[in-house]
Amino acid sequence: MIEKIRAYSFPALLVWLLFLVINSFFGFSMHPLVIKGTMVLLVVAFGYYVVNMKLFSYVTHRIIDAFLAFFAIATMTFLLLRLLPGGPFDQEKTLPPEIMANIAKKYNLDAPIYQQYFDYISGLFTLDLGESYKYIGRPITEMLIEVLPASVELGVFSLLLAFILGIPAGVLSAANHNKFLDRLLMFGSISGVALPSFVVAPFLILIFAFKLEWLPAALWDGPSYYILPVLALGSRPAATIARLTRASVLEVIASDYIRTAKAKGLSRLKVLFKHVLKNSLLPVLTISGPLVAGLLSGSFIVELIFAIPGMAKHFVQSVNNRDYPLIMGVTLLYSGLLILSNLIVDLLYSYFDPRIKLS
Amino acid sequence: MFKLITVALTSLLLSVSCTKKQKTEYGLDHKETLKINITTEPPTLDWSKSTDTTSALIQDNIMEGLVDYNFDDPDLSLKPSLAKEWSSTNKEQTWTFTLRKGVKWTDGVELTPQHVVDGWERLLSPATASEYAYFLYGIKNASKYNKGEIKDFKEVGVKINDKGQIVVELEGPQSYFPYLLTHHCTYPVRKDIIAKHGDRWTNPANIVTLGAYNLKTWEHDKAIVLERNENYYGEKAKTKNILAYMIKEASTAITLFETGKLDVQGNLPSAELKALKKKPEFKQNGILLLYYYGMNTTKPPLNNVNFRKAISHAINRDEITTMLDGGQKPMTSWVPPGMFGFEPEKGTKFNPSKAKEFLAKAGYNEENKPPKIELAYNTNEDHKRIAENVQAQLKKHLGVTVEIKNEEWKSYLGKLKSNTPHIYRMGWVADFPDPDNFLNLMTSYSDNNHTNWGNPQFDTLIKKAVSVDKKEERRELYSKAQKILTEQDVPVIPIYSGVSHLLINKRVQNYPMNVMGRRKFKEVVLK
Amino acid sequence: MTTIAPTLQADTAVASKSLWQDSMSRLKKNKAAMISLYFIIFLCFVSLFAKYIAPYSFETQNMDAILQGPSSKYWLGTDSLGRDLLSRLIYGARMSMAVAIFTAIISLVIGSVFGAISGWFGGWVDRIMMRIVDMLFSIPSLVLLILVKVIFDSLNLFENPELKALTSTLMALSLTSWVTLARVVRGQVLQAKEMLYVEAARSIGAGSAYTLWKHVIPNIIGPIVVLLTLQIPGNILFESFLAFLGLGLQPPFSSWGVLANEGWSLMRSYPHLIIWPSVAMALTLYAFSYLGDGLRDALDPKMRGRM
Repeated sequence: MIEKIRAYSFPALLVWLLFLVINSFFGFSMHPLVIKGTMVLLVVAFGYYVVNMKLFSYVTHRIIDAFLAFFAIATMTFLLLRLLPGGPFDQEKTLPPEIMANIAKKYNLDAPIYQQYFDYISGLFTLDLGESYKYIGRPITEMLIEVLPASVELGVFSLLLAFILGIPAGVLSAANHNKFLDRLLMFGSISGVALPSFVVAPFLILIFAFKLEWLPAALWDGPSYYILPVLALGSRPAATIARLTRASVLEVIASDYIRTAKAKGLSRLKVLFKHVLKNSLLPVLTISGPLVAGLLSGSFIVELIFAIPGMAKHFVQSVNNRDYPLIMGVTLLYSGLLILSNLIVDLLYSYFDPRIKLS
Repeated sequence: MFKLITVALTSLLLSVSCTKKQKTEYGLDHKETLKINITTEPPTLDWSKSTDTTSALIQDNIMEGLVDYNFDDPDLSLKPSLAKEWSSTNKEQTWTFTLRKGVKWTDGVELTPQHVVDGWERLLSPATASEYAYFLYGIKNASKYNKGEIKDFKEVGVKINDKGQIVVELEGPQSYFPYLLTHHCTYPVRKDIIAKHGDRWTNPANIVTLGAYNLKTWEHDKAIVLERNENYYGEKAKTKNILAYMIKEASTAITLFETGKLDVQGNLPSAELKALKKKPEFKQNGILLLYYYGMNTTKPPLNNVNFRKAISHAINRDEITTMLDGGQKPMTSWVPPGMFGFEPEKGTKFNPSKAKEFLAKAGYNEENKPPKIELAYNTNEDHKRIAENVQAQLKKHLGVTVEIKNEEWKSYLGKLKSNTPHIYRMGWVADFPDPDNFLNLMTSYSDNNHTNWGNPQFDTLIKKAVSVDKKEERRELYSKAQKILTEQDVPVIPIYSGVSHLLINKRVQNYPMNVMGRRKFKEVVLK
Repeated sequence: MTTIAPTLQADTAVASKSLWQDSMSRLKKNKAAMISLYFIIFLCFVSLFAKYIAPYSFETQNMDAILQGPSSKYWLGTDSLGRDLLSRLIYGARMSMAVAIFTAIISLVIGSVFGAISGWFGGWVDRIMMRIVDMLFSIPSLVLLILVKVIFDSLNLFENPELKALTSTLMALSLTSWVTLARVVRGQVLQAKEMLYVEAARSIGAGSAYTLWKHVIPNIIGPIVVLLTLQIPGNILFESFLAFLGLGLQPPFSSWGVLANEGWSLMRSYPHLIIWPSVAMALTLYAFSYLGDGLRDALDPKMRGRM
């Protein structure tokens, strides 16, 4: 009984999450209790898994490691920023020195560098990331929270598209190794990465919004607005996943236990989906960590061209503006995402392949 | 599991195609809403602190200053706004402003002279750290107060007299002082509101204004909605709502314009003008902007005035404006057209044979070839095209090899401050329409003069011109100054004067277009 | 997966041939890979002799022929300064290929050395080196790119204007692309370390460097070559991204990234500006991808006989 619950709980959770995502795609607002309930459910499931598999010390180790990495990244970025030429308040019309002095005083930029560093790090402990230099008076934490929804939506949908297109394409391709379908799919997957996205995205707009007038050209206001950006952002990882899946499926097909399964007379499709796919998804899982972090933080080009109010633009514009607190904010958020998604991927890894021992 | 995903995906795609959501943007009626693009998120709507054009556009519509431009007058005189009348005594060293009666803020409080003085005090206070504080440095003791040398604002030359007039005493005569009061940094403020809400006082729920429009919605990085102020003291705005999107990418915005999602789009890519010009919706008007190249007069070979003259003589500005094809005026003099002081006949004009003469005078000829020089610009497609064209022209007309360097904006600014390249690109947009604003730029004590050039004679002329109140006399002084700058010493190469290009939907009438690039929408009518 | 028979046959028949010859004969049977190879050779030829092939110079401006479509005089049309697009595309191939190939080589050298040391010594050396790699992933790449560009622009290493225009782009790209290579090499070295021949070499007292050089490197060269062919198209794309961010080549030199960046926003009015650079870029990417796949199939012993 317990075994059964364990076996089905994971897929059930996935389906539930998928349901939520699709709902949000159509803009149905969820009761906050549902969202909170899901969060609690996720944390409980995570906690149960960690305790049950005796992974407690492993997870603590990873969290300590993460804190150290976090600290190192903050320090490095903080120092590198001060090496960049040009200051946050340099502009076309040069400011008189006395006004520069007032500004430096206000933002504590006249203090010695170690003092500034110390102030910043101690601020981190209270989740105070400071105020933006460019967007005067706006706290960084608030700015990040404001851009998060659009980024998460775009990222999750793109991720979904990448998996939904990529995995079946890879499996089909491998099943028809070196036949026409394989070649066609692989040609398609190279096409997915053949052009820079600043060429692909405007091309999509030109065709679907300008010539055909099927979809809106830009902005972020509902399902029809999501399609083009998701296509532009998701097609690249979809291509990568397809190629990866194909390669690992081919490898698994050649292994002994599949030959055994085939010899036992199991049907081709059943072998493919039941035995091959489960084992060949591990490499896909490995790249999912960076992929999730990358997609959730979005793409500067896609956001720019589709005028989406997400956070990817801050990665570029904050550096261009030398808005130190904002650069630090987005960097730390991104590295946090990366560390977290890598941890989750590693845990999932051991869930799928019990032979792997985490320690 | 896999089947489930497939089913979910197909149902998803199906329903997308049939349920196109009919969301009217922000619940606004299309017929009463002017949809514009302000390209970026305004950094702040706090008018004492903002320095950029996006913020200014919103602020100019929700607030007003003591005076405003009269754009019907080609010489750009001033007309009353919050101030009913004003006058100067003591040779333009003391100015007196009388406020209009019965102007109400959106919370019902009546405007008082104290609000104006509060605004100036806030602008000049070192704690505010406003970047435009220097706008009012002309006022007596203002710069000392801003530096923190004086703690009490009462010592600054701004008083309210018994008649309720604002009396301003300046450090010295300043003929253009009222023009400064058109700028948003000098608008009145409500200290009580700011004290109550802190940095959040500019949120739509907190902000208190008195202009023709109210700030209704501000969704960061997405859109701003302005709504007609029904209690506005003057004639009410003709269009009810302004919906301002923030779409940075021009080609996206043009597509939105063409699909009817935007009524107006400025910021057109210059390389596409040739095609866009053919549209009936295309409009253009000159603005007070000078595009120029500066030369580092201490870096050899540009330390030689003859070499600088040779360079300036060798650049055909007509070729550049023909290439840009956007109605820009080629310039050899310094003050742009659209204000007094414009003298197109001045300057070192294109003349290849003269250019070669000067090059020879500088000591270079076939045997002794001129050295390579560096031309820097900040990354931008237009700057790049112009730089590449100048590079080709100098090679062709003068045989000088130019090496182009593009830099990202802040690195570029850093470079101008620390180690100015041989030739650098810059632009200047008028803060107020007076030649002083342009010529002051090149004085030896100006922070914006990166050429390392200074001429005491030039400095004296500029200082003197400000204190003269007769227009003709001023014109003469500026004429002399321009001669020194563009014919005698030549530390700069003016290239062209700016034009702004717009696509305007036919349903929009009376869209504001003027040389200052100010966009006040209260006269706009939608058909 | 046809039958096992041909595999056996192939294995016994070519036993005498060297591994390299074996691989080459397998590569030759792969049509897509061979066509790609010829295309790449053609591209290299065009790049090397751009001066003699291009009808015009890449910088000659014609103010009377701005933004013209294709004509008999200008086969692919002209750009916004009246320069011949075909010539700029040909010279662009030169710059793009140079950037892509040199970057691949530089990042190969850095990545291999870094990865090999990390993998070979293991332990705390490995841990520290891999944490450095992790950090490089998180620090905003734009900050690094700007810093590298500023440093190399101010150094003035070369007199040749072409090389001068290239250096900072090249360095910026190399700095960010060696990381992946380092990871792969480390993984391969970790695997090779466990192999019998390495243990044998060590047991007879060979030094670390010697063993690495003589035994490990030759055995991991296959996957690295494959990765390299896959990295080159990635570099071409990344160069275009740099151009997009305004950190690309110094004008007036053209590369495909520069051309694509000049063209994309004018797609609506002047489609010729974006079509041809895109076609050139896409074809090259296909070629390198197919060649890379072909090489992997030819070199990877596990895939043997499954062609």
